[in-house]
Amino acid sequence: MSHLVLIPILIPLLAGALSLVSWRSLLLQRWIAVVATGLLLLVSIGLLQLTREEGFVVMHVGGWAAPFGITIVADLLSAIMIVMTGVIGFTIAIYSMAMTPERHERFGYYPLMHLLLAGVSGAFLTGDIFNLYVWFEVMLLASFALLTLGGERAQMEGAIKYVTLNLFSSAIFLSAIGLVYGTVGTLNMADLAYKLGQVEHSGMVNVLALMFMVAFGIKAAAFPLFFWLPASYHTPLVGISALFAGLLTKVGVYALYRFFTLIFNGDVDYTHNILLWGAGLTMVSGVLGAAAQFEFRRLLSFHIVSQIGYMILGLALFTPLAIIGGIFVIVHNIVVKTNLFLVSGLVYRLLGSYDLKKLGGVYRHRPGIALLFLVSALSLAGLPPLSGFVAKFLLIRAGLEVGAWTVTGVALLVSVITLYSMLKIWAEVFWKPVPEGVNTERLTGEKPDSQLWLLLLPIAGLAACAVLIGVNGQPIYEVLEAAAEQLLNPALYIEAVLGDQP
Amino acid sequence: MLLSLILLPFIGSLLPLLAAHKGRTVCSWLTAAPPACALLLLLSTAPAVFQGELLTIRWDWIPALGLNIGFRLDGLAFLFALLILAIGLLVILYGHYYLSAKDSHGRFFSLLLLFMGAMMGVVTADNLLLMVVFWELTSLSSFLLIGFWGHRRDARRGARMALTVTGGGGLALLAGVMVIGHIVGSFELSDVLAAGDILREHHLYPVALVLVLLGVFTKSAQFPFHFWLPHAMSAPTPVSAYLHSATMVKAGVFLLARLYPALSGTELWFIMLSLVGLSTMTLGAVVALFKHDLKGLLAYSTISHLGLIVLLFGLDTQLAVVAALFHTVNHATFKASLFMSAGIVDHETGSRDIRLLSGLRHYMPITAALGLIAAAAMAGVPLMNGFLSTEMFLGEAIEQRVLGGWSWLIPAVAVFAKVFSVAYALRFIHSVFFGPKPGPLPKQPHEPPFFMRAPIVILVVLCLAVGMLPALIVGPLLSVAAASTTQTILPQYTLEIWHGFNLPLALSVLAMVLGVFLYSQRHRLFNLWNRLPPLSAPDVFEFILHSILVQGSRRITKLLESGHPQNYLLILFLFTIALAGAALLQLPSLHGGVSMTAIDFPSLAIAMTMIVAALGTAILHRNRLTALLFLSVVGLGVALVFARFSAPDLVLTQLSVEVVSIILLMLILFLLPRQNQRDSSVQRLWRDAVVAGVGGLSLGILTFAILTRPLDSISKFFLAESVSGGGGTNVVNVVLVDFRGFDTFGEITVLAIAAIGIFGLLDGMRLFNPRHLGHHYAKDRHPMLLSVLNMPLLPLALMVSLYIFMRGHNLPGGGFIAGLITAIALILQYLTNGLNWTNERLNDNFHPLVASGVMIAGLTAMGSWFFGMPLLTTAHTHVHLPVLGEIPLATAMVFDLGVYLTVVGATLVILENLGKLKPFTSQPTTEP
Repeated sequence: MSHLVLIPILIPLLAGALSLVSWRSLLLQRWIAVVATGLLLLVSIGLLQLTREEGFVVMHVGGWAAPFGITIVADLLSAIMIVMTGVIGFTIAIYSMAMTPERHERFGYYPLMHLLLAGVSGAFLTGDIFNLYVWFEVMLLASFALLTLGGERAQMEGAIKYVTLNLFSSAIFLSAIGLVYGTVGTLNMADLAYKLGQVEHSGMVNVLALMFMVAFGIKAAAFPLFFWLPASYHTPLVGISALFAGLLTKVGVYALYRFFTLIFNGDVDYTHNILLWGAGLTMVSGVLGAAAQFEFRRLLSFHIVSQIGYMILGLALFTPLAIIGGIFVIVHNIVVKTNLFLVSGLVYRLLGSYDLKKLGGVYRHRPGIALLFLVSALSLAGLPPLSGFVAKFLLIRAGLEVGAWTVTGVALLVSVITLYSMLKIWAEVFWKPVPEGVNTERLTGEKPDSQLWLLLLPIAGLAACAVLIGVNGQPIYEVLEAAAEQLLNPALYIEAVLGDQP
Repeated sequence: MLLSLILLPFIGSLLPLLAAHKGRTVCSWLTAAPPACALLLLLSTAPAVFQGELLTIRWDWIPALGLNIGFRLDGLAFLFALLILAIGLLVILYGHYYLSAKDSHGRFFSLLLLFMGAMMGVVTADNLLLMVVFWELTSLSSFLLIGFWGHRRDARRGARMALTVTGGGGLALLAGVMVIGHIVGSFELSDVLAAGDILREHHLYPVALVLVLLGVFTKSAQFPFHFWLPHAMSAPTPVSAYLHSATMVKAGVFLLARLYPALSGTELWFIMLSLVGLSTMTLGAVVALFKHDLKGLLAYSTISHLGLIVLLFGLDTQLAVVAALFHTVNHATFKASLFMSAGIVDHETGSRDIRLLSGLRHYMPITAALGLIAAAAMAGVPLMNGFLSTEMFLGEAIEQRVLGGWSWLIPAVAVFAKVFSVAYALRFIHSVFFGPKPGPLPKQPHEPPFFMRAPIVILVVLCLAVGMLPALIVGPLLSVAAASTTQTILPQYTLEIWHGFNLPLALSVLAMVLGVFLYSQRHRLFNLWNRLPPLSAPDVFEFILHSILVQGSRRITKLLESGHPQNYLLILFLFTIALAGAALLQLPSLHGGVSMTAIDFPSLAIAMTMIVAALGTAILHRNRLTALLFLSVVGLGVALVFARFSAPDLVLTQLSVEVVSIILLMLILFLLPRQNQRDSSVQRLWRDAVVAGVGGLSLGILTFAILTRPLDSISKFFLAESVSGGGGTNVVNVVLVDFRGFDTFGEITVLAIAAIGIFGLLDGMRLFNPRHLGHHYAKDRHPMLLSVLNMPLLPLALMVSLYIFMRGHNLPGGGFIAGLITAIALILQYLTNGLNWTNERLNDNFHPLVASGVMIAGLTAMGSWFFGMPLLTTAHTHVHLPVLGEIPLATAMVFDLGVYLTVVGATLVILENLGKLKPFTSQPTTEP
């Protein structure tokens, strides 16, 4: 059964190759996309189930036992992230059916999407730091290619910033891997954790830890390393924006969680204090950035940054409850943030703009869409009983328990500003009458849109998730509790991968 | 039963939506049904509640967090639930007539019931967290109701302001509740109420109290958070009557009552509540007099009365609690009816401006009479309910000793506020209904339909009934509610209209007389008021938000998000250096103890060459071609380093990568200007040089520190296992295709993505004519000699790559290098013969080639599954072939074939697309 842990990587990889083979048949590519991401979702749920039963699902690729070969490991955190990858992948595949111009499709939209998902899955599942780098590269290149699809000037500008800053991250990451190998002579995460645990925690380890922190901090878009995100996320096709918004930064956050629970846990006062500062400043700078924006997707992009702060906060506080809260934020945010981007795309389709000043009247003409937006937006702001409420509740409680008053206060304040920001969108896009000179044929339904259901279906699905995660919090909490327990007991992971060590 | 009490409005909120197309009447009936049922249910519990029973139910929600779904019905909850359901029903009746045909009845009533359900949840919740959940829901439904006329700007602004303030307060409340839960260890109301002493003595008590009170003050519109309420008046009047006078704004008051046993009794509690209540009461009463808008006047009056109730909770007497609850009920009845009257005036005349209205009693005498009674109750005229509770209030105000020596201040200010409240009540009645007939109004005034007035009649009758027979009508209800609020036995008190001549009565009379006098002098006061600088709350609110939040954040964002990648990189560099450097400085010693090898000449020469070449690249970067040449020297230097440390495989790889990338870069250079502009100032160059230098130096020092430390690595395993486990003597290749084959798999995926990406990126890209860029070309596009020599080169090169591929497992070589060699050979064909010539001879759709490479590698990897082995497990054997001799065969070689195909395919896709780039004007870059 442990083969199952590889399937989430192989499905999108092979789907990508298959789509490449059927380069000329767009219809086939579309269906491959839906079927493959659907399969990914199913398999991921299976994997989560298996991980819940067995704790860890470990696979040594090539039969080479750790630490010599590459180990693929699913613990609960990984499995949860894979499920989220499946959910978002499937959602985007359906959404893309109606929202992708043929020009994009002809230039490899679907193969790139699959390969991006493969990179994301690989990053979540690998237990080897160099292999992680490889999947980061897969993701980086696929996302860069997706960013430039369409070839508009704004896209190029955004993509250049994106790729430059991310290459810097790759360089730091690769250097850090080399230096780690030079220090302990291994690449396997479990082995690394074990060996670092054996020696006295030296200052050298802190240097390495901080290099990884910078590399992943850039990927996660933490303060002050987030510039690439708001510069680029609003430029590509909206499905791509949504995919990126949901998954990409979370890979960086995931890597931070993995490294700073499993590997670099020897000098928590030093490393996690830096993370705490980073978390607070990320929350604030992101939400302040959003306040000045009047472009739908750019506004949402800044909120991604802000929410990353909450996720890092969970890691930085480093208590079981905080970790649970952090993962809860990740899960909730993937659903909600993706959905907000999808809604922005839907509104774009109805009114032809992302500029808040040129939008309006959606509540009047399409109350259903307005409701779907409101569910996601209020969940993002953390209003009960939606998913964001439980997430925020956990973090604040964790913050209070350790007496981290300032950052807890900041977290609360930021969520008020988030609320204000979401209300701005609501008032501008949904309540305000349609501005003069905007074509409302699609909004009012005068010009029927037969494919609209393909956009509504994923949005409604994700909104339902946001409600369910909030209302049905207990089982999710239990899974996350187990996940946090695994994370805070690195010995379990080490033993699962390496077997009993003397 | 308790559950259905709360669920009925929620379920009911769907009915109006479903019945929206059935017409207004059906819709309204269906809306009224659930609250009516709920009200009957509530009344059926009355006997139990009045005997002091506590009805509860509970389920788990997230028990691990102490988040449970539990409800309780005691006297306090009963009192508020009664208000919510009864006034709700009246408002539905009123709303049926109030809304115009243009408004969506379904949506309106649905939201109204949603609010009702949320409010029922707040008052019956048995778990503090659950209460916060409903609390936020009331804010939300209030937001949607205020903005019901979303096309109006004032409605949108008012709604946003209300939700930002009350929603923010809700978050503070959440934090406060969590602190309470942290102290008590439970969020269950019964636990919290029992833990009052623990709470009050805990060092976090002030934090909890302030946070909870923030929630209370924002919700109940207390100074300085009161400003949202007047602007919530842009809601339809039924909403104002229901949410913003009778129920929602009382949620804060309710919370004070609910947590009274847990939080009250400390100096902080008394001081905060009495000062905030006192200032709110005064401010509201004064401002109300000067409001020309009927609803604005009522809104400030509501603020003032809420202040009064909060003040009562802040007085240190038990009876003050009774008075507070009594006044809550009284205020709800008279204020709701006043709002409805104001709504009728607005509805039937088209205006709410007191300056325009006058003498309406001539047109709507019944409404005028009803308004008169309600306003009298508001002013505290004897025989009305308002009189009784204000009398109690004045009595308690005189009794209390909250402010020590300054305690006389409270009754004094209370009388002052009451003077104003008498004056504005007079204004509401006298200016609108009395006096001469009005000038031209938007509509011809007339009486409203009977049933629109009916709710007012009921409420006014209640005002009178309570005012005259208090002990009979509200006595039991009040005592059971007050008992469950304080959780103690109440002192004796009597509800009577006549308490004899005493100080409160005297003060009341004084206030009335002064109030009438004040009203008679109103024109002077208005003149004075007009001289004050105008201050509009939404403007201030938006100004604060705009100047601090938007402008400030714009500035910060500009500072950080300059839009220049150079600046971003600078910040990234500096941050990395600072972070890692700080940690590096803490190392006790850089040298780790391993002795260094002696410097030999070749190493030194290679190093110096690389340093010089790197510097050359940086310094001469403006001349692109030269810079590229220097760059290639750096690349070759790396190959030499590999050679120096005996890694022939890496040398081969590095060399072929170098060749391919330099050729591709050359192709691109052709499309760029020969020289680029000088775009950085000298200072900036120096700055960048310093940053780059420090960065490089830090990394160098770090590497030095690490290399001088002893190391035990897993490399030995690879050397030992390569032949026996991987079936090849070339360890590098075995590592690539076997030990770490999964990495390779990922890397060829990267290559495939690059191919697709470049295909999409370059398609349709139009560039400037290279001739204008200052390039000079050889006349001979395809030199004869080159093409002649090239002809035999292709098969030779292919042979070489096959050879390299086959021997790869044992000797330097392998699929990656072989693929690059093949690619170089094909590139040469393109270069010498042109794109079209080559494409005629090759299939120009390389995507499937790339894909087949990835597929072959993937399928080979998965092949091992059929033998029940982990992914990528290899098998190997040796076969003897003629000519080639002993050939080791490993499944890894099939995998390597996948690598080979991907490399060739990807390189060709990239090359072909670079070659296809066409300048604007026709330029013979390709074969004609």
